Amino acid sequence: MEIFIQQLVNSLSVASVTILIGIGITLIFGLAGIVNFAHGEFLMVGGMITWFLVNAGVNFFVALVGAMIFVGALGLVAERGLFRFTLERPMNGFIMSIGLSVILQHLVIRVFNEVQKTIPDPVGKVWVVGGVNVIAMRAIVVALTAVVVAITYFGISRSRYGMALRASIADPDTAALMGIPVRRYVTGVFIYGSVLAGLGGALMIALFPITPFTGSVVIIRGFAVSLIGGLGNVGGAVVGGLILGLVDGLSAGYGSPEWTDAYALVVMIVILIVRPQGLLGGTLGPRATG
Amino acid sequence: MRSIIRSATLATGVLIALSTQLVRADEELKIGVVAAESGSFVSAGNTIVAAANLATKQINEAGGIKIGGKTYKIKLYIRDNRTDVNVTIAAARELVDDIGVKAVWGTETHDFSVSMAKITGAAKVLQFSGNSSLGAVLEDKSVAPGGWLHYTFQTEPQEWQRSGSTAKGVLTLLTPLIPHPPKHSVVFVGNDATGQYLSSHYVKALEAEGQQVDLVKYPPDTTDFSPLLTRIKGMNPDIVHFWYNGDSTLTAFPQALKLDVAPAYFLFGVDPGIYQERQLKSDKPVALSCVPVCWGAAPNPAVQDYFKKYFELGAAKGPQSSVSLLYYDYFFMYAKALEEVGSLDNPDAVVDAILKMKYQGVVSPVPLTFNPHHQVTFATEVSVVQPGTSDQFKAAVEQPPTAPPPGDPGG
Repeated sequence: MEIFIQQLVNSLSVASVTILIGIGITLIFGLAGIVNFAHGEFLMVGGMITWFLVNAGVNFFVALVGAMIFVGALGLVAERGLFRFTLERPMNGFIMSIGLSVILQHLVIRVFNEVQKTIPDPVGKVWVVGGVNVIAMRAIVVALTAVVVAITYFGISRSRYGMALRASIADPDTAALMGIPVRRYVTGVFIYGSVLAGLGGALMIALFPITPFTGSVVIIRGFAVSLIGGLGNVGGAVVGGLILGLVDGLSAGYGSPEWTDAYALVVMIVILIVRPQGLLGGTLGPRATG
Repeated sequence: MRSIIRSATLATGVLIALSTQLVRADEELKIGVVAAESGSFVSAGNTIVAAANLATKQINEAGGIKIGGKTYKIKLYIRDNRTDVNVTIAAARELVDDIGVKAVWGTETHDFSVSMAKITGAAKVLQFSGNSSLGAVLEDKSVAPGGWLHYTFQTEPQEWQRSGSTAKGVLTLLTPLIPHPPKHSVVFVGNDATGQYLSSHYVKALEAEGQQVDLVKYPPDTTDFSPLLTRIKGMNPDIVHFWYNGDSTLTAFPQALKLDVAPAYFLFGVDPGIYQERQLKSDKPVALSCVPVCWGAAPNPAVQDYFKKYFELGAAKGPQSSVSLLYYDYFFMYAKALEEVGSLDNPDAVVDAILKMKYQGVVSPVPLTFNPHHQVTFATEVSVVQPGTSDQFKAAVEQPPTAPPPGDPGG
């Protein structure tokens, strides 16, 4: 029983990082209409910046903010310098983002090196509750993810800006005629998604070492989460992340371990066949944004 | 007029002399290196390039290689295979067909090396690869003159030898540090071609030492190992052996400590230098091994000196820096063989010279020799870290067994 509860606790923390990646992708992919395959590399850069700052003696939580700012700025440059020119042709943006991901990997190798990077556990505590080991840093990751989910959800569903953003997606031309700066909203969403990638990278390196190639691994899960939940749907990303986290945890614990990744992707395929719009519904994905 | 002719003759003579010297200085021995300088194997790939650069610098600075009355300097042609088998094959083709190298070093990826050997072998170009899985194809027929692996050398011990040497070292070091003699081992390994091949031998080696062994495979590129480690905890192992991939092990091991998975651990391919640098600390005994010799706890002055020079050339201090020693010594063996043969154009004689050679390298305290299947033999260093510390190590070097354990087909 202890082992089973431990697996459930593990699943929650696995889900948290996946949810953070998924929210960033679901916003950029589902709302801004940009397929950014370099989003995983944005996360990796966030982790590398955190590593660099922590090694320079900066407190982890300050470094985390630094990573969010840096990756947010990277997002601004990428959107203004690259993706802005592909809004009418999302496939061009997709191919461009694959190139960007390779460039970012090799820039990081050139600036730092190829060796795996890690930082000491910022909290370093493990609570044993009824025979179950609860790792403090993982609990913090879960809590921070919950805060981000709440802010993002209410920001999109309840605020004036969220309403304008949704209007821009529903009908960009009419929204523009109503005075909504649609392109600026696209930029804003891209930067916000990038900031979340920076946060995800900082939290990831607090839990696991990262390499210049970490991004290419997490990006698949990020897209899976956003598609399972429904593109552009923050609640959907949470549900998608929790499902993948649970499938990962329980299949690794009780299924054939080497098939862990496959179980999660089989679940994704089944959901997309049964509910092509995702579990909670969403946008139709990338399209021309006026 | 006569003085002009004399001056012109003199100038021409000087020019001819100079150009002859230039030609002499330009005598070069072309050697190819195929390694992952990008892609997922970059951590190991860069060590081959670094070892090749160091060996080349040392040989050239010592005056080069004297072959048949001429002095040759090594010129390296380094190709990045991007951790891609197709790029590897293209690189080998270019090196062999277009550039005309006499030998090729690499790759770090086992199955890529086999693909490359089909190209180098057909062109009679020597290949030095630190891949134990070559053992599966290096046999009497393939290494015989005319065989497709006649020019290929395996610069890493056979896997049953390395596994045997490692298993013995791990159990020798850990047994006194745990409450009861270990009986149940779990081997935790990446589920890729290399992991499958290597772990099959290590499981047999542990069983030969009296262990009951469970094998748990994880998908490559796993970062969160907690579900799998929790499963292993439920198996109640005495020792968890993190096998094969140093980078993955360094990700999984701290998670295992937090989940309190086992009373003892073994980390394959993790250098004590990295353990110290990461400030890892465990209240449970931890054994470490390097492929093949550690830079963080160098067993002798020759190894210490090697890694000092290796890092001075700018190579990164990584978990796999020691892999460079699967490639370094063989530059000197090859150079010596060329000098003995006295010709660049007799690869069969060079192969014979290498097979007869005993060379005292850095990687082993005993001279390196190749067996008739073109495989080298040396021991693997294992060390144990004092519980509660990051920097106090005790090393053991157990010689490889003389024969494969029961159930291990060898190779």
